[in-house]
Amino acid sequence: MQTTYPVAPTLMQPPSKIPLLEMQGITKRFPGVTALNSVCFTAFAGEVHALMGENGAGKSTLMKILTGVYSTDEGSIFLAKQPFMPSNPRSAQRSGLAIIHQELNQVPELSVTENFFLGRELKNSFGLMDHKKMRFETIQWLAELGLHLEPERLLKHLRVAERQLLEIAKALSLNAKVLIMDEPTTALSGEEVSQLFTVIDRLRVSNIAIIYISHRMDEIFTISDRITVLRDGHYIGTDTATNFSRNRLIQMMVGRELSDLYPSSQRNLGQTILRVKQLCVQKSQGKQALLNLEFSVAAGEIVGLAGLLGAGRTETLEAIYGVPNKKTVAGKIEIAGKLESMKSPHHAIKAGIGYVTEDRKGQSLILARSVSENTSLAALKRFTKGLFLNLKLEQQENLVVIQKLRVKTPSLETPVSALSGGNQQKVVLAKYLLNSPRLLLLDEPTQGIDVGAKAEIYAIINELAQAGTAVLLASSDMPELLALCDRILVMCEGRITGQLSRQEATSARILEFATQFKPQYQETL
Amino acid sequence: MIANPTISKRNPWLETALRFQGYLGLLIVFLIGLIFSPVRDGSNLFVDPINQANILRDIAETGIIAVGMTFVILVGEIDLSVGSVLALTATFSAAMLVRLNLDTGVVIVLGLAVGGLSGLINGVVTTWVRIPSFVVTLAMMSFARGFARLALGGLAIPVIAGTGGAPDSFFVFAQRWFGIPVPAIVMLVVAIISGIILRFTPFGRHVYAVGGNPIAARLSGVRVDQVKIIVFVICGVLTALAGIIHAAQLNQGSPNDGVGYELNAIAAVVIGGTSLMGGIGTLAGSIIGAWMLGMIDNILGLNNINSDVQLLIKGALIVAAVGLQRIQRRA
Repeated sequence: MQTTYPVAPTLMQPPSKIPLLEMQGITKRFPGVTALNSVCFTAFAGEVHALMGENGAGKSTLMKILTGVYSTDEGSIFLAKQPFMPSNPRSAQRSGLAIIHQELNQVPELSVTENFFLGRELKNSFGLMDHKKMRFETIQWLAELGLHLEPERLLKHLRVAERQLLEIAKALSLNAKVLIMDEPTTALSGEEVSQLFTVIDRLRVSNIAIIYISHRMDEIFTISDRITVLRDGHYIGTDTATNFSRNRLIQMMVGRELSDLYPSSQRNLGQTILRVKQLCVQKSQGKQALLNLEFSVAAGEIVGLAGLLGAGRTETLEAIYGVPNKKTVAGKIEIAGKLESMKSPHHAIKAGIGYVTEDRKGQSLILARSVSENTSLAALKRFTKGLFLNLKLEQQENLVVIQKLRVKTPSLETPVSALSGGNQQKVVLAKYLLNSPRLLLLDEPTQGIDVGAKAEIYAIINELAQAGTAVLLASSDMPELLALCDRILVMCEGRITGQLSRQEATSARILEFATQFKPQYQETL
Repeated sequence: MIANPTISKRNPWLETALRFQGYLGLLIVFLIGLIFSPVRDGSNLFVDPINQANILRDIAETGIIAVGMTFVILVGEIDLSVGSVLALTATFSAAMLVRLNLDTGVVIVLGLAVGGLSGLINGVVTTWVRIPSFVVTLAMMSFARGFARLALGGLAIPVIAGTGGAPDSFFVFAQRWFGIPVPAIVMLVVAIISGIILRFTPFGRHVYAVGGNPIAARLSGVRVDQVKIIVFVICGVLTALAGIIHAAQLNQGSPNDGVGYELNAIAAVVIGGTSLMGGIGTLAGSIIGAWMLGMIDNILGLNNINSDVQLLIKGALIVAAVGLQRIQRRA
C-alpha cells in the first residue's frame, strides 16, 4: 500500500555520538495555553530527524523557539555544546540555523544569482555589485548540491522544486549547521521529491543535521533516521525510524489506535448522477488540457481520479464545475440524465454540484470573514426572504452543519483564518453540504491535514456517499484512493489511460497507467 | 485543541479601546475642539449647535461619496473618478434646471442616471476588459471633467431661484429641518440604507466575499463581475447625489468643482477602518471618518489656522488611524 519513491540508496552510517543540537525541558506558555511542556529534542550532525505530531502539537512553536521567533519560558538549548538562546531570527541564522519554509521568501522577478545574494550582495572596489563573482559563487554552491541552474534565469521561471533547492543552497552558503525543512514536499511531484531526497542524502554526508517536518508518512519512513513525536505540547518519545511501524507512529501522534482511519462501507449504487461525454478543454496556444474524457459517477459511488502532477485531475473537476472559460470547453456534461451547460460555478451549484478545491486558503475560503459567513456563502438563497436574509435561520442551519461535521471553533463569528487546517477544510465541506449536493467534487481533500482530522473527513465523505451523494475524488494520496474509492480512473496528460475497480486497484497498476505518456505529445511540451 | 495562542495575548483594555477606536477617535476630536475652541461672549463657539450643524452640512457631500467609496473599496477596487463625476453631475443638473427648466424630480433622476452611467462604464471596463480600476477610474477622472467642460461650456452655470431660474423645490437641499441641514439628513438616510444592504441582504454578503477572496467567491457561486459592476454603479449614483446637493448648496454647477474629493472620500473610508485590500470594513466607520475630518477642519477654521496646516493634520490622521488598525489586526 505504500508509495515507493525512486530514491538513491541511503547511506546508513551511524550518526555521530555528539549531539549537535540539544533542547532540554523547553516550556512555552501563552496566556491560557501551555504550547510546549518540558519538551526535549536532540539532533546529531549528519542525521535526518523527523518531527511528527498533529497540527497544534507544538512542532511549529518548537521550531520558532529554535529560530529565535519566540523566546522560551523554561529550558535550555545547546548548539555544539555551547548554550544557545537566539533573541531573533537573524542571530539564529548567524549561529547556523536555517529554515526552509513552505512558502519561500524569494523575489520572483529577480534572477537566480540576485536571489541567492539578496541582502548580502558582493561589491567590487568601486562599491558596485560584483556580478561576475556572485554568478561564479552561485554556480559553485548549486553544483555542490548537484544542481545546474542558469544563474540568469528569473526565479518565476523555475519550478517549485528548483526554488526550494536554491533556498537550501543559500542556507548552506550561510554556513548552516542545522537545517529545518517544514513540509518541503507539498508542492513537489514524485520525481522532484526523489531529487530533494538525493540532496538531503548529500547533506547528511556533509554532517548537517536536518529537522524534517511532514505529514506524509511514506516520506518520513524513507528519509529519516530518527523520529520524535509531540502531542498537545508534550514530548511523547524518540526512536530510530526503523523501530517504528506506521501504526505505532499514528498511535503516538493521536494518543489512540487509529485502526479505522478509513471507514469500511457498504454502499448501494443508485442512478447515474454525472455523465461526461467527450469532454475536451483547451489550454492556451491550442494545447489540450483534457482530451475526450468519458466517464460517469453514480449516486452513492466514490470514484477516484489518480495521476501524476499535471495529469489533468484538477482541470477535469474544474471543467465539470464550470470554472474555465466556456469557449475552451467542448463535450457534454449530464447531471442526473439532464444535459447541463456549465457556464459558471453559479450554474454548477444550481445543478447540485459542490467543489472542494485543492487550495482551501486560496480558492475555497474568505479568510478574513467569519466561520458563519463562509459556511452559508454558497447557500444564501435558502436564507433569503424577499430582499433580506433571515439571519436567525442562517445561524441555526449553520450551527447544525458545523456541529454535524464537528468543526472545532470558538464561535460561529470567529474568522475562519483562526482555525486549524483540518477545521478549515471541514468549513469548506460544510459550505457545500448546506446545499445537499447530488455530486461532490473533491480535490486533495486531506492535503496538509493531520491524521485525526483526516479520519473524520473520510468518515464524512463516506457518510455522504452512503446517503446517495455521488463523489468524484481527485487525490495524489494513493492509500486514500485505494481505501475510499469504488473505482479509480487514472489520468495521464489529459487523457484517461485506465480504469480500475476496487478489487483490481494497486499502487503499481495505478502508476503504470499514470505514466502512459504519448511520445509525440511529449515533444510539444 | 490549542487555539491560536496569539489571540489571548491581548490586553482587554487595549482590545476594548481598539474595538471602539472609531467612536473613541470621534470623542477625542470633539474634546480637542471643546478645549481649543475660541470663546465669544462666554459661549464656546465649537460646541454651539449651529456650528455642529454646520459641520454636518460640510461633511454631507464627502460622507455620501464615502458611502459609495466604501462599497467599491470593500470589493477590493478603487474609484478615483468621484471628484470629476461630481463636477459633471453638478454642472449637468444645473444646465437641466436653468437651460431646460426641467422639474426638480426629473433633474434628480437624470443627474443620478448620469452618475450611474459613469459608474457603469467604470465597472464594465474594469471587469470585462480586466484593466485595474485604479487605471480605469483615473481615466474616467480625466474624461468626466473634460466632458463636462466641453459639453456644458467651461464656465460655472448659476442656479438661482425665482422666475426663469430653478424651481424652489430644488433648494430643499440648502434648507434645514429641525435645525439639521437636509444634506446631512440625506447622508444619514443613505448610510442607513446602505448599511442595511451590506448587513442584511445576500448582495451585501457577496460584496464582502468578493473583496475577501474573489476566486473563492466565484467558486461559491457569486457572480463576481456582476457584483463589482453594481458596486461601481452605486458609487456613481451616490456621487451624483452629492453633485446635485453641491449645486443646490453653492447655487451653481461648475465643471471645475470637486477637485480632490476622491482623496477626502478615500481618507474617510480608510480612517473608518475599511481595508484597502477589500473584504473588511463598515459603513459606520466611513461616516465617522468623514465626521472626524469635518470636525478637524472646523476646529482649525475657528482658530483661523492656515488651511495648509489642515492638510498636514489630515495626513497625520490617516497614518495614525491605519497604523492603529494594523496593530489591532496583528494582535
